[in-house]
Amino acid sequence: MLDEQAAIQISDLVFRYSPGGPEVLRGVNVRIEVGEFIALIGQNGAGKTTLAKHFNGLLKPSSGTVRVLGRDTRTAPVADLARSVGYVYQNPDHQIFAQRVRAEAAFGPRNLGLGQAEVDRRVDAALALVGLQDLADEFAFSLGRGQRQKLAVASVLAMEPPILVVDEPTTGLDQAGSRGILDLLSRWNADGRTIVTITHDMTLVAERVPRTIVVNDGRILADGPTRQVLSDTTLLRTAFLRPPQAARIAQRLTDLGVAADTLTVTELYTQVSRLLGAPNDHVRRAASEANGRGV
Amino acid sequence: MPVGYSIYVDRPSYVHRQLDPRTKLAALGAIFVLALAFNHPAVLGGLVLLVLVVGRLAQVGWRSMAPFLAGSVWFLVLGVAIWPLYVQGGPDLFTVAGQTITLNGLLFGLAMGLRVALMVTAAGVWMMTTSPQKLTVGLLHLGLPYKAGVAMTAAIRFVPLLNAERATIAEAQQARALDLRHGNPFSRALKSIAIIGPLFIRAIDVAQGLALAMDARGFAARDSRTSIVELRLTRVDRFIMYTLLGASILAVALRLLGIGLITRNYL
Repeated sequence: MLDEQAAIQISDLVFRYSPGGPEVLRGVNVRIEVGEFIALIGQNGAGKTTLAKHFNGLLKPSSGTVRVLGRDTRTAPVADLARSVGYVYQNPDHQIFAQRVRAEAAFGPRNLGLGQAEVDRRVDAALALVGLQDLADEFAFSLGRGQRQKLAVASVLAMEPPILVVDEPTTGLDQAGSRGILDLLSRWNADGRTIVTITHDMTLVAERVPRTIVVNDGRILADGPTRQVLSDTTLLRTAFLRPPQAARIAQRLTDLGVAADTLTVTELYTQVSRLLGAPNDHVRRAASEANGRGV
Repeated sequence: MPVGYSIYVDRPSYVHRQLDPRTKLAALGAIFVLALAFNHPAVLGGLVLLVLVVGRLAQVGWRSMAPFLAGSVWFLVLGVAIWPLYVQGGPDLFTVAGQTITLNGLLFGLAMGLRVALMVTAAGVWMMTTSPQKLTVGLLHLGLPYKAGVAMTAAIRFVPLLNAERATIAEAQQARALDLRHGNPFSRALKSIAIIGPLFIRAIDVAQGLALAMDARGFAARDSRTSIVELRLTRVDRFIMYTLLGASILAVALRLLGIGLITRNYL
């Protein structure tokens, strides 16, 4: 029926934490293609993490099916699915246990049964990717919050999974740290890997993530191009979410000719400057500066 | 309802609401004295029934008490299997592999199983009917420093929290292909370092956070503290306590006299 295998294919997924308990996920249908970069958004308790935990089989459907690269998660053990799906937890302190940074990053690849040379190669690559190569021999617990977050990501990247799920990678990080992580995910995605991130940071979603899925009350409320989803204020209000600040300002300025689907600071700045009649290259320079500062 | 996890189940019973936690603690202590004083299955069996009746009066369901009884079954089986080899007396029953099994041996094994059942069930009923909060206040009245009381309550409070942390850590490591289901016990123990390590650090982290948060709100600023739970020993409490004291003294006296025993040779 389908010409190409999906990275993740979810059909009529219903999930209860206990038999007869309330449905936490109530009939979810999602198809995620190989190589996509997706944001899962929704208020706390909407079911984002519960949904994401189905991607690597940590949770099994009460009914319906979840297929990861064609494999039914109900019959595949988590440790096996971990080869296909990397999952980075919200709090890096939930997984860091090794003394040294390098050993921590090597834990996953070693569990996959790789040889020492291959483990080293992957660890070096992953640490370089997150910018921790110079700290490889440091104590893992002496790293700062942002660095521990990066280490958590690196330790999963080192497993080189074709699909990566990242649960709130920017919690507790400042703008620079958040951007660093999102840049990293973008680069990883550019190599053809599939990425799903759970986040509350609408600004970063608007800037970096092409497709957005809104989870609300155990259902998929919206699923589409980020621009379309995030500029639908009514829809977002239903899910108790707010569009990024730039989008909210833009929507107030539609009477002046600003596009209603403006999402990022750069876009807003460009349009407003044009309206004010500023010269073009000046606009471009200022806009890129504004974006770099994360205004 | 106290905050957090405990096996305490709030019920509108006299035992839950009116009885002083100190009385209940004394009752538990007395039951332990009685359990150790006698080693005749009839006496111990009677005491187990008494505890079950008190549990029922306190509106604790059979279903809640059953696990404690079921947990003691192993001790009963073990007791009956092993003690007859050591305790001889009374009429011979049969011979197994050259070893004569006597009635007293069987009865003593049965008594040891019932002793465990008695202690475990009494402790279970006690925990199900005494809220940790009230227990702490009771202990404070008995002279426990309030900081120790808070530590005790906090420890109970943290059980579910740390359990949730443990589950999350286990998930996070499984997601990194940690396979906890296969391998021999030794290799599995080694693997669990990946879970115990972060768990310890999280526990210390959480405890430190709590300590800071409490200091910031002026904890330990004064030598004594008031409590939201007020305790008063009623006449019923006093009556029960005196009865328990009497029963304990009587039990020890009977023990010395050799009444209610299968053998004096073993406890």
